[in-house]
Amino acid sequence: MAQLTMAKALNDGLRAAMERDPKVVLMGEDIGKLGGVFRVTDGLQKDFGEDRVFDTPLAESGIVGTAIGLAMRGYRPVCEIQFDGFVFPAYDQIVSQLAKMHARSRGTVKMPIVIRIPFGGGIGAVEHHSESPEAYFCHTPGLKVVACSNSLDAHFMIQQAIALDDPVIFFEPKRRYWEKADVDPTATADPLEQARVVRDGTDLTLIAYGPMVKTCLDAATAAEEDGRSLEVIDLRSLSPLDFPTVLSSVRRTRRAVVVHEASSFVGLGAEISARLSEELYYEMEAPVLRVTGYDTPYPPSRVEEEFLPDLDRVLHVVDRSLAY
Amino acid sequence: MTPADPADTPLVQLLTPEGERRQHPDYDIDLTDDQYRDFYRDLVLTRRIDIEATALQRQGELGIWAALLGQEAAQVGSGRALRPQDFAFPTYREHGVAWCREIDPIQLLGLFRGVSNGGWDPNEKKFALYTIVIGSQTLHATGYAMGISKDGAVGDAETGEAVIAYFGDGASSQGDVNEAFVWASVYNSPIVFFCQNNQWGISTPTSTQSRIPLYKRAEGFGFPGVRVDGNDVLATYAVTRAALDAARTGQGPTLIEAYTYRMGAHTTSDDPTRYRLASELEAWKLKDPLERMKAFLYKQQIVDAAFFEKVEADADELAARIRKGCLEMADPDPSVMFDQVYEEMTPLLREQAASFQSYHAGFAEGAH
Amino acid sequence: MSRVKQFKLPDLGEGLTEGEILQWMVEVGEEIKLNQPIVEVETAKAAVEVPSPFAGVVTQIHYPAGSTVDVGSVIISVDTDPSAGALEEVVSDHPEVADMVPSPPSDESGPLGALIGEVGPSGRTATLVGYGPKSVTAKRRPRSDTAPPAAVPEVAPPPPATAARVSAAAVGQSAAQSAGALPVLAKPPVRKLAASLGVDLATVTGTGPNGTITRADVEGATAGTPAVADAPVLASYDPATRERRVPVKGVRKMTAQAMVGSAFSAPHVTEFITLDITPTMDLVRQLKALPEFEGVKVTPLLLVAKAVLLAVKRNPEINSTFTDDEIIVKDYINLGIAAATPRGLLVPNIKDADQLSLVQLAQALQQLVQTARDGKTSPADMARGTITITNVGVFGVDNGTPILNPGEAAILCFGAVRPTPWVVGGEIVVRQVTQLALSFDHRVVDGQLGSQFLADIARVLSDPATALVWS
Repeated sequence: MAQLTMAKALNDGLRAAMERDPKVVLMGEDIGKLGGVFRVTDGLQKDFGEDRVFDTPLAESGIVGTAIGLAMRGYRPVCEIQFDGFVFPAYDQIVSQLAKMHARSRGTVKMPIVIRIPFGGGIGAVEHHSESPEAYFCHTPGLKVVACSNSLDAHFMIQQAIALDDPVIFFEPKRRYWEKADVDPTATADPLEQARVVRDGTDLTLIAYGPMVKTCLDAATAAEEDGRSLEVIDLRSLSPLDFPTVLSSVRRTRRAVVVHEASSFVGLGAEISARLSEELYYEMEAPVLRVTGYDTPYPPSRVEEEFLPDLDRVLHVVDRSLAY
Repeated sequence: MTPADPADTPLVQLLTPEGERRQHPDYDIDLTDDQYRDFYRDLVLTRRIDIEATALQRQGELGIWAALLGQEAAQVGSGRALRPQDFAFPTYREHGVAWCREIDPIQLLGLFRGVSNGGWDPNEKKFALYTIVIGSQTLHATGYAMGISKDGAVGDAETGEAVIAYFGDGASSQGDVNEAFVWASVYNSPIVFFCQNNQWGISTPTSTQSRIPLYKRAEGFGFPGVRVDGNDVLATYAVTRAALDAARTGQGPTLIEAYTYRMGAHTTSDDPTRYRLASELEAWKLKDPLERMKAFLYKQQIVDAAFFEKVEADADELAARIRKGCLEMADPDPSVMFDQVYEEMTPLLREQAASFQSYHAGFAEGAH
Repeated sequence: MSRVKQFKLPDLGEGLTEGEILQWMVEVGEEIKLNQPIVEVETAKAAVEVPSPFAGVVTQIHYPAGSTVDVGSVIISVDTDPSAGALEEVVSDHPEVADMVPSPPSDESGPLGALIGEVGPSGRTATLVGYGPKSVTAKRRPRSDTAPPAAVPEVAPPPPATAARVSAAAVGQSAAQSAGALPVLAKPPVRKLAASLGVDLATVTGTGPNGTITRADVEGATAGTPAVADAPVLASYDPATRERRVPVKGVRKMTAQAMVGSAFSAPHVTEFITLDITPTMDLVRQLKALPEFEGVKVTPLLLVAKAVLLAVKRNPEINSTFTDDEIIVKDYINLGIAAATPRGLLVPNIKDADQLSLVQLAQALQQLVQTARDGKTSPADMARGTITITNVGVFGVDNGTPILNPGEAAILCFGAVRPTPWVVGGEIVVRQVTQLALSFDHRVVDGQLGSQFLADIARVLSDPATALVWS
């Protein structure tokens, strides 16, 4: 069994999907010869040819708009948006066209399109390269939104997303691209739209996705020294969100803290909090608390560590929750 | 506003407003009498659909209607140039092209009545659903054309496939349309970009959209552009057919600017008297697409009173059928909206659908 | 302008938005005069005959009788110039291209329809892109009787904890919520109330839906006992006003609430008795010397407590609670002792005090007082008391009119013991004298019962041998 970086695990997953179905095509800026700025598509053009793996003009709206046309023609396009902050020119095609096409056509026009987006901060980047725009897409009916947190999930989730006939926005935590983990490609994968309890605990549930899963696992390890047992959930699928898994955990622990890099106001934490308070009103020992990026534009990279949730901030909020 | 579109800008014309036949060195057509008569019939029926729908809107049966009045020739000419294997991407005003693609006009009404977002199967009719966001469809069309290339369906003059993307003068300013030009040109896609320049984007004249005649845009992107008299069904037919054939045989994209006029309002509640002169309208009335064709048929002596009566009778019958179909159109069952968002309902949608049902079941009998 | 005029259903009065066509009074082809009644329409108020605004020949009736039609809908078309020759036989009026080209708005009943901002055929104000907004009356659609009410959600039982990591208990108040413990179901406000009253929710039975604990359940559990666990609240002195404001919080707040609750619900009667307690004071000295009481504190309060317990046995109705429906007489005595603590006055009680031997009672009393002094009195200690003693004697105060502990029917106030001149055998001698005061709830305890009870206590204290006789 191989120890793979997330980038390599994605690469293998894309390769497997392309081998399985000749209609799968990859398109994006610099994904061909260069293999993508994070090398996620490395070697794929060489092996599958320029017809199936092609570099596009520098035009994000064009990437998604033409993918829609290709899907209408029977292809299964996997688009790469080079960085999170550059998805916005394509936002109209995504929400006005891609998301609505199935409903508009009463199911006769399917959009089996995956849009891969490296997201999140923590890589010391210049402006616009550290965004967390997932809420905009979760809020759009007709889209599915997922985020992998580790190599194993990345490898399988990308294949599952490609196999779906619904459009999927596939978020990849760029700060985790180089972290290694065991990947057994013959293993049975968890369903795409299911959350996973990645660490059992009894005192409080940490709910996270993408880059913050590792942060929460580290926080839970540190919390053990204080005699606290924290449960950690990796949501994996942001829309639809696996509420049964979350509810089952929080019903037991009675306390929940949601952690995401995206800013607080109207972020995913707000939805989860609303839902938990509605379902578990009688059971909660403390209100749902959130650890998030601040409600400012992402700061210059020298300051980003103060902006992003980290182990200490997570445990600080865990303290608050346990004090109720 | 810079009037950069001089009156002597060349355009392709095969039929003058007075019904005189002209030749053009690059575009030649040879049609039978039946084909000429069929063109006229198409023009009349297209106009009649439009008039009936407008009347229905005024009677409160449709929320709005986007009238194509004045643009019949541009749409029928290009629509009839399509081969069965070609795919068309309309905006929301191409009722004449829909007619050519054999979409039942009643289905067009469904969108404007607020009963559906387009009731036909695009793959079956090779006619995409109406797109209301300006210009978006040009990218879809380009992607579809790229798919045709990938399928290797480009090359043969008879069986090769092509795509036509409709958009207006206003749309030519949109980023998506320009991106579509970029992509189609660099990938040499089998697509015809058909711009109906009807002189107005709601209240904005074309001079605010472009400094130069629109057909010249193509040159900047590296493919041919041509302006055709959009009120001349024969010229539109000829130019579009040639462009489609170029596309299907692998010669890449063409931009056709069909120079026409929006005789009616943008949609039924728009008031054009607020922004354009009656004299402009009067001038364009003299270029009416139906009148010139009618005149031509008379001059060719290939029609008689019985022919015109038959066409009018067909138009009346079509209008009556449309009216009846519209009035009988049932509102959709609202719970259907939950089913059609994804391939399969998500748990959240199932919950919402269930609570929607129980909420509505909870109203007293006959409550209204 | 077209000769065929269309008549739209007007607003027949007071903001009508629609009307039902009851019957047509004309038919297609009929010649009609201006103002001739052509249709009867039912509004919310009455049936109204509508006169024609045109003269001419009826060419079309657009809605049959029985239809409900929106205001602004065209209901009838009339050829206003029938002498001008035959109309083209068409289903709709068949405007020429010229007619179809919009000209400035004029006759609103003409074929123009509505422009942006104008009211259209359906009564809605036209927009560029659709029908326009619908006007809605502020009236609720009636729900059916069988509709389920906005229900309290099913509260599911928790799944068993996954055993993997069960480490040391969490910090914080909910130590009871360890893995596998039964869930406590209570709304946040109820939890807050319980916390401030010092009630452990785990000991409360919930009577709300699905077993949830209600506010009333929490209040019932405490009988208004004041709270623990608040740190003493610091007052802040303001030199400007020369006033110090002490927030009413925590214990003080609860005490105040309990006082008010009790004072204004139960009619209090207080009776007094002054007695020679010298034999009891002698007994205290004797008991202290006994080996059984080695290391155990013996105080007059201990014997007062014993006297109370014995008196309750002889007067059981005094150990009860008044409710609106019934008086609950209790067969167990949880004897409350008012105690001063760093947080304020609390009333912990000794559970089943009547079951205890004198030594055990002494120990329990000692424990109770020590715990209170340490500030560690728990909510459970203060719950479910049945009768209370308050000792004001330690302050040197003679007596008082105590206020009942809510939920109880009697409270005894034990004052200072002083050497006092007393008459014994006709002679004046110095004896240890004290005064007892008993307040009781007059709904439960009448004068006879109260007096009897008090007298019994006094007898035991005046002559401790009585205890042997009554045991």
